[in-house]
Amino acid sequence: MNFRSWFRPFEILKKEHNIALIVIWVVMVVGYWFVATSGEEKLFPPPEKVIAGLQALYGEGLVVHIASSLGLCLKATLISVVVSLFFAYLSPVPFMRPVAIGLSRMRYLPLTGITFYLAMMMHDARSMQVGVLVIFMSLYFITSLLGVIKDSPQEEIDHARSLKCSRWEVLWEVIVKGRFDYVIEVLRQNLAITWMMLVTVESILVAAGGLGVLIKNSDKFMNHGRIVALQLVILLVGLGIDWILNTTRKSLFRYSKI
Amino acid sequence: MNHYEQKDTILHAENVSVSYGEKTIIKDINFLERDTVRPGKVQGQVIAFLGRSGRGKSTLFRVITGLNKPTTGHVLIPDSTKKPIDGKIPAKDVEEGDVGFVDQRYTLFRHKTVYQALTYAMRNSTLSKAEKNDKIMRYLVEWGLEKSKDQYPNELSGGQRQRTAILEQLLSSGHYIVMDEPFSGLDIGNILNVKTAFKLINESHDLNTIIFSTHDIELAVELADSLYVIGYPRNAEGKLETFGTILHHYDLKAMGIAWHDSFGAQHRDLAEEVKKALLAS
Ligand SMILES: Nc1ncnc2c1ncn2[C@@H]1O[C@H](COP(=O)(O)OP(=O)(O)O)[C@@H](O)[C@H]1O
Ligand SMILES: [Mg+2]
Repeated sequence: MNFRSWFRPFEILKKEHNIALIVIWVVMVVGYWFVATSGEEKLFPPPEKVIAGLQALYGEGLVVHIASSLGLCLKATLISVVVSLFFAYLSPVPFMRPVAIGLSRMRYLPLTGITFYLAMMMHDARSMQVGVLVIFMSLYFITSLLGVIKDSPQEEIDHARSLKCSRWEVLWEVIVKGRFDYVIEVLRQNLAITWMMLVTVESILVAAGGLGVLIKNSDKFMNHGRIVALQLVILLVGLGIDWILNTTRKSLFRYSKI
Repeated sequence: MNHYEQKDTILHAENVSVSYGEKTIIKDINFLERDTVRPGKVQGQVIAFLGRSGRGKSTLFRVITGLNKPTTGHVLIPDSTKKPIDGKIPAKDVEEGDVGFVDQRYTLFRHKTVYQALTYAMRNSTLSKAEKNDKIMRYLVEWGLEKSKDQYPNELSGGQRQRTAILEQLLSSGHYIVMDEPFSGLDIGNILNVKTAFKLINESHDLNTIIFSTHDIELAVELADSLYVIGYPRNAEGKLETFGTILHHYDLKAMGIAWHDSFGAQHRDLAEEVKKALLAS
């Protein structure tokens, strides 16, 4: 084995080598964790405490909270996907263009203002959480979708036009059907922000449960092992969603090479 | 000797110009093409446009296909929806969809396989589903695409993409097909395929009309029955202008060198003449 190639810029390695590199890094980081946190009490918890924290969380109904968070995420995502797609898909229509662009600019609005108005309008915590998430996701989502539409090559549009497509057929074929894989990709990228925001939104409104509530409770206990365990759980669930979406896109759309 | 007659007008450009802001790209484009009829033969039309890079060939093609409106002037084609008046079919301004277009990059629907794309191109046809399938499969075999029928554009080679793009336009049922540099970037086998395609299109309907551009002068002289040189004209002081226009028209039918299988001395002379015209523009 030629280990020198591991340190040569732009070198393309075999798959086994790439896996080996990941394993090496994980072992190094975890090893460092063990070594650095052994002995006297440190601010960052040692692995035993994290595992203990995980067990405590499990006892408090971690699975139910994860399900609650995923449920909230799913609900907010579905609504905002529908809303965003509606405005984004209509943006090539000149009359609707200003609306779509205007909405996309609204992402500069501060979160607090919207939360304030929503709190006055809605009375149960759950719909307010959904409301905040939907509004924010939609604004980012519309922005990304407008980017996708703007980047659709004129040649593809002209190709459809030259095949006797009406303008609505062009929109349907080139933008809606022809770029559906991009929608999933955009969703995947925006979900990273949503996932982060979800936990924040949950911790503002405790009543409905979810991972955010667990975080809030951990703060009170000043239990570091628990906090780190929870962060890891949130990270892994987020990565899981990311992986599912990416795999879905690749398996559903063979032509999709983004 | 090749006997032929010129019948109805099939394509007429009248004072076409295109400007972007202050910049005039093409100006004073005028030409008229008629349906050529040869006794005992199905004979379409092949019109070539030659010109150096940036002289406005692609710009003109976008106007001929109705994808862009000219700044001034008209491109007229017969209006097949109207009844003839005094034996003449009334003309209309070309609109998008009237004229098929295969662009320089052979663009296709990225989400349709070859078979799906061709089915889509036939969506307005009155044929039954089985008849459509038969027709598509026949073309796929004839054009060497049957093995690629379930592949997406990103899984096709350049030549395969181009043949699919041409087939789409053929099946979409218009008689006109504009091809922007259909021979560029193709290997020798693919060039032969496209030449065969020209022949197939030409012999399948009297009104079929191929309009193409190329930088290969010999190929243009060999394939075309009408050839235009587009370039910068010279002004009164003998200086080159910066807009493109038609500088020369060679009617190869009238010259007696259209539809020849061999490339003779007359073809070579014409190619030489065109070469000089291009260099001077
Ligand atoms: N949308 C546009 N805006 C401004 N200039 C353009 C545009 N499209 C083409 N041109 C210019 O028009 C000229 C002719 O281009 P083109 O028609 O592509 O030439 P050709 O196909 O003969 O090489 C070029 O100088 C090009 O820069
Ligand atoms: Mg060009």
